[in-house]
Amino acid sequence: MNNQNSMTQKNGPAVRVKSISQIDGRTLGITWTDDKASRFDVVDLRRKCPCASCIDEWTHEQILKPETVQDSVRPMKVDSVGQYALSIQFSDGHKTGIYTFAMLRKLSHLN
Amino acid sequence: MSLIKSMQDKILGRQNTISEDSIKSALSSIMDPDLGRDIVSLGFVRNIVITGNDIKLDINLTTPACPVKDAMKAQAEEALKKLPSIGAVTINMTATTRGQVALAGSPIAASLGQVKNIIAVASGKGGVGKSTTAVNLAYALAATGSKVGLLDADVYGPSVPHMTRPDAPMQSNSNLINPPFAGGVKVMSIGLFAGGDKATILRGPMVSGVIKQFLTQVNWGELDYLIIDYPPGTGDIQLTLSQTAPITGAVVVTTPQDVALIDVRKAVAMFDTMKVPVLGVVETMSYFVCDGCDKKHYIFREGGGSKVAKEFGVSFLGEVPLEPAVATASDKGVPAVKANPGSAASRSYCEIAGGVASQVSIIHEAYKDALNQFTVVWNNDL
Repeated sequence: MNNQNSMTQKNGPAVRVKSISQIDGRTLGITWTDDKASRFDVVDLRRKCPCASCIDEWTHEQILKPETVQDSVRPMKVDSVGQYALSIQFSDGHKTGIYTFAMLRKLSHLN
Repeated sequence: MSLIKSMQDKILGRQNTISEDSIKSALSSIMDPDLGRDIVSLGFVRNIVITGNDIKLDINLTTPACPVKDAMKAQAEEALKKLPSIGAVTINMTATTRGQVALAGSPIAASLGQVKNIIAVASGKGGVGKSTTAVNLAYALAATGSKVGLLDADVYGPSVPHMTRPDAPMQSNSNLINPPFAGGVKVMSIGLFAGGDKATILRGPMVSGVIKQFLTQVNWGELDYLIIDYPPGTGDIQLTLSQTAPITGAVVVTTPQDVALIDVRKAVAMFDTMKVPVLGVVETMSYFVCDGCDKKHYIFREGGGSKVAKEFGVSFLGEVPLEPAVATASDKGVPAVKANPGSAASRSYCEIAGGVASQVSIIHEAYKDALNQFTVVWNNDL
């Protein structure tokens, strides 16, 4: 873990968001500072919420049953968190997930 | 004399060789060591005025605390004097600090909208001289002409009021608190509300609330640098700070021995997790100069700070000696860099301030395309 952390500092600045926007009814688009682009299905993001009530903090097992999330769920608002993550306020009232840029990059198979 | 020469030039058809282009091409040999580009392509050269053979221009740096300011001026003068038939050269060194931390409409816009850079001063554990470093860093930056604020986020052990002695805070006519000035620096601390000798007894969530208030309801106004004195450790307050405000970068303070360095690794790892760039490591209590023999005594071993900086690939910003006068100055409420500007410790702090300012400029260059902050409001009709 420590080694990984030290690597990030050595490899220069971490990747941040260059631009972010809604692409269509259920797609969020991000262009990163390394000019790679990601697209996220917002319903999929809700089903993969990383917060402590959706993922067990100690066992990392998913508590949330993804099938219980309706296809009709949408974000109300997407906000930056510090300079490392974003949070999404969903239409079903859920808003505790902090989606780190690292997690989002992983979801879209970028380093 | 020069009138006769210019007449001759005209008659003989000689062209005045000094032009904006020739000046720029002469200056394009000068590199900014931090940004790795020449000062012309960086747009530093401004307001060129050519009067006959005399020239006047500004070199506008990214921070007034630039450590190579004087060297750069000398280099520029030398380069310009090589131009044929050059007259008097007047170079004015100016600076516009880069950065912007908050966008309009965000919850921190009212408070931090005109703050260019937020710098965290942190340590993995207490007692390493973190507050002393934060205070002296703030005053060293202010001494170069920067506008500086100092936020004491050490809610349980606020020491900044004792070290700077600001007046009482006032409420402004909007719903914000005006931070009082102390020696030209805007200061905010929970100690200003609780009184110096009263303990702050608060549960975690309350502390988070206070910290959020410091970042959203204090009228910081226009600042080049806001220095935040973090509480020691890697806990709740540190998380709240880094999540509420976009921190430009962090300075990690340590003493030289291995036990302290273990905690530095934790602090660096914490900032790394939150993707706050580490500007560098400062080592305090590095050595003591004996008043009898002038010998440097490395009481807590030598070179720990630079070792740990190398390990993480971050800059080593400098070592500060153990100097009784620093403690005396702090206790009198006058930071050492103001009380004894010539002392070894003060000179170190000024060097560290220059290093911090350089690192901040480097980060802006690296992140010039990044969004500091964003909000996307979902449109269900799209």
